[in-house]
Amino acid sequence: MQRKISLIVNNELVEVEVNPGSVLLDLLRDTLKLTGTKEGCREGDCGACTVIVGKLKNGKIKYRAINSCLYPIGNAAGKHILTIEGINTDSLNKIQKLFYDEGASQCGFCTPGFIMSLTAHLLTHNKLMYDEVVNSVAGNICRCTGYSSIKRAIKELTTEFVSNSYELDDLINKGLVPDYLPGIKERLISINELISERSECLQKHHKIIGGGTDLFVQTPEELFEHDLTFISQNDMCEINFKGNRCFLGSTVTFEMIKTSTELQQYFPMMDDYFKLVASLQIRNSATIAGNIVNASPIGGMSVILLALNASIIISNKEEKKVFHLKDLFLDYKKLNMEKDDIIEWIVFNLPNGKFNFEKVSKRRHLDIASVNSAMYIDDEEGIVKTVYISGGGVAPIPLFLKRACEFLTGKEINKENIIRTIEIAETEISPISDVRGSADYKRLLFKQLLKAHFLKFYPQQIKMGDLL
Amino acid sequence: MSTKFIKSKFWVEDIKEEMMAEVPISVVEPWQKDKELKYVGKPESRKDAYDKVSGTAEYTFDKSFSQIAVAKTLRSPYPNAVIKKIDVSEAIKNKNVLGILTPDNCKDNDWYSGTSKLLDKKVRYNGDEIACIVAETEQDAEEALRLIKIEYEILPHVTDLEKAKLDTAAKINDHELKPREYNRGNLEEGLKEADIIVEDKFSTSVAVHNPLEPHCSVVKWDGEKLLVFDSTQGIWAVRDTVASQLGIPASNVRVIKKYMGGGFGGKLECGKYTVMAALLSKKIGRPVKIVLDRKEMNQAVGNRPSSVQELKIGAKKDGSITAISHNAYGTAGAFPGSAGCSWPARSLYKCPNMKLVDTTYYINAGKDRPFRAPGHVQGTFAFESIIDEAAEKLGMDPIEFRVKNFTAVDPDWNGPYTSKLLREAYIAGADKIRWKENRKKAGFGGGIVKTGYGMASQIWWGGGAPPSYAILKLNWDGSAELVSGTQDIGTGTYTILAQIVAEVLEIPTRKINVVLGDTGVCPFGAMSGGSMTAPSVGPAARDAAEKMLSKLKSAAAAILELSEDKLEYSEGVFSSKDDRSKTADFSKLFGHFREGVLVTQGAREANPEGYAINTFGAQFAKVDVNTLTGKVCVKHVVAAHDIGRVLNRKTLNNQFHGGIMMGLGFALLEERVIDNYTGKLLTTNLLDYKLPTIIETPEIDVIIVSEEDNKVNNIGAKGIGEPAMIPTAGAIANAVYNAIGVRIKDLPITPDKVLNALASKNN
Repeated sequence: MQRKISLIVNNELVEVEVNPGSVLLDLLRDTLKLTGTKEGCREGDCGACTVIVGKLKNGKIKYRAINSCLYPIGNAAGKHILTIEGINTDSLNKIQKLFYDEGASQCGFCTPGFIMSLTAHLLTHNKLMYDEVVNSVAGNICRCTGYSSIKRAIKELTTEFVSNSYELDDLINKGLVPDYLPGIKERLISINELISERSECLQKHHKIIGGGTDLFVQTPEELFEHDLTFISQNDMCEINFKGNRCFLGSTVTFEMIKTSTELQQYFPMMDDYFKLVASLQIRNSATIAGNIVNASPIGGMSVILLALNASIIISNKEEKKVFHLKDLFLDYKKLNMEKDDIIEWIVFNLPNGKFNFEKVSKRRHLDIASVNSAMYIDDEEGIVKTVYISGGGVAPIPLFLKRACEFLTGKEINKENIIRTIEIAETEISPISDVRGSADYKRLLFKQLLKAHFLKFYPQQIKMGDLL
Repeated sequence: MSTKFIKSKFWVEDIKEEMMAEVPISVVEPWQKDKELKYVGKPESRKDAYDKVSGTAEYTFDKSFSQIAVAKTLRSPYPNAVIKKIDVSEAIKNKNVLGILTPDNCKDNDWYSGTSKLLDKKVRYNGDEIACIVAETEQDAEEALRLIKIEYEILPHVTDLEKAKLDTAAKINDHELKPREYNRGNLEEGLKEADIIVEDKFSTSVAVHNPLEPHCSVVKWDGEKLLVFDSTQGIWAVRDTVASQLGIPASNVRVIKKYMGGGFGGKLECGKYTVMAALLSKKIGRPVKIVLDRKEMNQAVGNRPSSVQELKIGAKKDGSITAISHNAYGTAGAFPGSAGCSWPARSLYKCPNMKLVDTTYYINAGKDRPFRAPGHVQGTFAFESIIDEAAEKLGMDPIEFRVKNFTAVDPDWNGPYTSKLLREAYIAGADKIRWKENRKKAGFGGGIVKTGYGMASQIWWGGGAPPSYAILKLNWDGSAELVSGTQDIGTGTYTILAQIVAEVLEIPTRKINVVLGDTGVCPFGAMSGGSMTAPSVGPAARDAAEKMLSKLKSAAAAILELSEDKLEYSEGVFSSKDDRSKTADFSKLFGHFREGVLVTQGAREANPEGYAINTFGAQFAKVDVNTLTGKVCVKHVVAAHDIGRVLNRKTLNNQFHGGIMMGLGFALLEERVIDNYTGKLLTTNLLDYKLPTIIETPEIDVIIVSEEDNKVNNIGAKGIGEPAMIPTAGAIANAVYNAIGVRIKDLPITPDKVLNALASKNN
């Protein structure tokens, strides 16, 4: 099952015979002895293993921070990997110096991960906003410093480099990244040319890997022994618009959606919703189709797409099929899909009306929701034309609340109708007690989230007191 | 070195330790209040900061040797069972499997105070060690573990604390856990005297240390000598346990800890994994590495015990407390441990009558280990909550009520404190958070998001104690090396010790190398825990440096042919007070010596007789509570503390901010969850066991109200690791009550509890 894989790690060409179902972290630490990258959990929860992956696209390298503990080597082929060792030069770079001066490193085990997350942010943003930079390390756990010193280092960084330019030359001049980076592109192009049969074609009985961020947590041993197809290496990674419809390629990552300027026009709060979904490192790897086929009853993407009444385009060797996403989920982790079916596109109409997503978890983010919910509503003079409501964590599947939607359609927005909608919605859900909360609590919380949608949509007409 | 032996007394949890310790006969005078210090107290960057920010720091986790093999542990899937038969025949078929330890072939060594074995055929929790396999790679070892066939006799288990209390509960451990009772005055009389009585019940969850670097060891034999690299807070404890477990002389075991990724108490003792790795390494004749994964970290290497605390307080109308009753119980797992948490109730305020009972019950779960201020974190949350309830019932401001019951002497034995600036901490903290202006009546105001303010006080020990030693080597070029067998676990010990030496010898810290964490080369030094390290090892470092200065002075006097009292010293140069041209610097002095290095040894002096030594402080929290979703957001924490002298403002801030965030985690997020039906641990990773992230970090202000505590030791400093964390959860819980007018009495305060409490209040 070994495959020859070529990539560039820091400033070195690496060619190894390796099982593509092993993870990048092991290649770095065990094979290449680059032990500056740490391992704190091996499940993508702590960020100690953060490295930067550069992918060649349209003649440019696009960098992003990822968790190397969940990043399959198969996805690393033909890419540039930057680790803490790769940004060390004769002297400390600016970020390292700030960590040094502010005492932002205590036991130091998490430090390389933080520095790599911040370096990735510099490589991808031309304006440094304090809150955004803080969010870029929200997926990095530190148990010692209490983060305040790290925040101070970030404050200094953003004060000094308000208008960052992510042109490499500029970053090099400012002492933020090493000077060998500009040469990487040409080398990456020649590697990619060498890998002639790079584009992976789907073969029978292969296991399909997208970002791998869930599969490598759940069944790493199994992946090690399977033949794998890495669909993220294909270029199905696009967000297209046709008319008033949006087509999301199946391997589009969460972060691509979060940062899509086109989508932001229709969903001004998109950035906020996705801030609540996983960490940046995971969002940079995790694919939208992966989240859907995972079929988690609490999957954030499914819940959002259900409230957009999305359709999916599925193909296999013989045919292409289109159906509503709400018809995909049959039962707990059971999908209306055949063995060799693969999701190609997710399609939805760009909204005319109002859209909102709510999620409550124990932690403010970087957490699986206890309950989440999305709602789309289109009304005319207070009468509901179209409404889609979804909920996660309240049934064995991501739930489309059919009866509640049917009730509210054509009705006037008022206190009585909202209360009745929530009552009907409550009859459609069947939460269970688990580590994320008791059934009663989830029931109560779901009703609160539905209220939150209406309070956000109709702040003038509806008050909190009306819905108690 | 002229030393003597004394009986050294200090408190560890609620046990007064009395051990012989070697201390210097002549004691170094503390720096006087008005003395301007050049290095101590300054916000120097960490000595090891470069290694850490560049990722070049080598942790035990990174340690490797050629030919190294990897060991993994098989752990019990059942919470209570007896192993009838172990069949390893399939597991050892793979040629990459090098060795295996099972109860059948392993030394029958005692573990957990003799209530268990290194590998026991009786397994008492989901995660209990059964076997250990060493193989070429981690994957080989893991595969082999899956091939071990075990026949279990599954026994009834109990993981629910309330069920464990019942007489009918399945017996877990033969060793009996006796309740601990403390009485002062007469509780009943005290309650009769009271004008008001408040009574309430609180509870806290089991919390797990979860340092970022997992527990791990790398072992390598060199003939009969064993080299152990360990991620540990106590190299001596590891050395001695490994030596006695293996039955070899302690001098044949050398334990090294250089960099480590946090401990928080969980790495104070030697783990089974280290001993198993050493046994396997001996067996196969190759170095062995063993690393716990995150699931094992949450199962098997310690935790903060749970608590249920029934509290009753009686007070007079004027606010004076007449009686305290604290009945606490909790669980420390399946082996002897302590869930005691009544110490804050016993020591924080003046109170003539009290009865405190701490009871620990066994459940089928991993054993406790000290976790940053053991007992005090959970005890302070409950006690400071009921203190707020009493203040409210009396119509008094919470601070006013606390000041009313301030005690200037240790209420246990009426001895004076070396220092107690708790009232100053109240004033400074209240001032910073604008307590008077901002804090409204509980539940005040409308709107979806409600704001509240709360506070809580703190007491801890933290004065340090002997024995601790340090060796100082001064080189011909004026550079120095300080060697001590303590550890820097990320707290900044390297840095503060260099600052102390720099202060005495007046040489820059960059010229001072600090060597810690090696039993092969270091004299004994304090464990890194209990806020003991700085106040124990720091004075020994200063003693060694002062002795070095004396030594140099006597050499300079001889070389310059002057009496010592005619000499003065500044920044590496001795000069005659009378004739400035007569000088001797290091190179001149060393030019006369045969050796290029001078050596002295310092020791931690005895603690003062007749004093209570404690740290004090108060923290204030501002929180926002979303009444629609139940989410609590901490906006601001002010910490005001009396901790003696600040040794390094930068590392002090780090410790405080980190402690406060750990307290915030305990208050809002962290809880170990076991499924009582199957007895299995559910929170096996960092997604389910939730640590705070940068997003949760509020604005934090740290105010130190003390300048120095010169009665306590020659550097005037006390420890800060535990004080930083103790009052945070209590302050947050009181603030949540102040915001919404309903008290959440069970930690962590998760959105479901808030929402349910609000719902029941509205009904």
